[in-house]
Amino acid sequence: MNTPDRKSFSNQTDSASDLSAAEATLRLIASLPAPEGLEDRIQAGLLAAPRKARILAWPAALTPSSGWVRAAAAATIVFVVAGGGWGVYSRVQQPPTAKVIVLPPHGAAQGGFSSAGAMRTPQTLNGPVLAHPAAAQPAGSKVSGKLPAPAAPKPLRHGQPAAANKTRVPLVR
Amino acid sequence: MSASQAVFSGWMEIPDSAVDDNARQYAEEETLAALVSQYAATLYRVAFSVLRNPADAEDAVQEAFMRVLRHRETLDEVRDQRVWLIRIVWNIVLDRKRRSKTRPETDDVSELARVLPSAGLSAEQIASAAQHHAHVLGCVEKLPAKEREVLMLSAFEELNSVEIASVLQISESSVRSRLFRARNLMAGLLDHTRSLR
Repeated sequence: MNTPDRKSFSNQTDSASDLSAAEATLRLIASLPAPEGLEDRIQAGLLAAPRKARILAWPAALTPSSGWVRAAAAATIVFVVAGGGWGVYSRVQQPPTAKVIVLPPHGAAQGGFSSAGAMRTPQTLNGPVLAHPAAAQPAGSKVSGKLPAPAAPKPLRHGQPAAANKTRVPLVR
Repeated sequence: MSASQAVFSGWMEIPDSAVDDNARQYAEEETLAALVSQYAATLYRVAFSVLRNPADAEDAVQEAFMRVLRHRETLDEVRDQRVWLIRIVWNIVLDRKRRSKTRPETDDVSELARVLPSAGLSAEQIASAAQHHAHVLGCVEKLPAKEREVLMLSAFEELNSVEIASVLQISESSVRSRLFRARNLMAGLLDHTRSLR
């Protein structure tokens, strides 16, 4: 009669035997001998494989390690760069520079009115006006019995107010 | 000898660098041939344990050595060439296995019966053994990938846990814990299939 303990023990032993059998299978597969001629086939495959790409061998005098080749290469590079720069520079047409500076008319630019060449003169102060010019007249002039002729009117000047050209009328109190 | 003569004499000379290149290439080829003769069988077994097809396994070994040929300049820097080669072929076979997921598994019983040793066995015993092995391998395939890889590599008596860790690029403690889990899972799978029978 199988008790539960004995049953579980038998299960454990069965599992252990299964596991060991499984590991034996893996070991068996892992220890399989290689097929005959494997190494020869691999060697032949390696020999037939394309080698690393080769660049054409330069002669010894032209190897990059020789100094004069380096100098020549450097000079060539400098020549090509400088020549290219000069070629670009000589082909580019520069725009003609203006010799006369023309300024736009000042008034037109502002859009306002022009002064038409008028010059402003400051307004002069009115001088003192005599209240009784007759009293200042000398006695000898009374003989003629005429009033002295008024002074000729001054020519009009720009900027002078019109009131300045009028004859002064003495204030009569 | 003028300078120009000295320059042009270089066309006729064999430079020292060319001699060095030839000697180095010869040495590399010798090293590679020695690697092939020494480790080809081991690499084949590793490849076959995963692919379970002799032709695919041989192709994988060939590809591994082709990679070595392409990087033969770095051979001197390799510390353990055996583990290094196993890691190369391991990556190749895993990649091939991943790509061939769409194809049916190659765990054909007849294929196993043809490959496995059968000396002194009757035809019935051979068929039974092949069926058993196919069943075990079917259970291995059901394991998670990490545990399966460790379990398969542990079957190689040529590899210890340190070398398995080096191949899988994990720590040695991870190898041990994964192996423990793999054995438990494997035991459970085998027990389950036995109870079904």
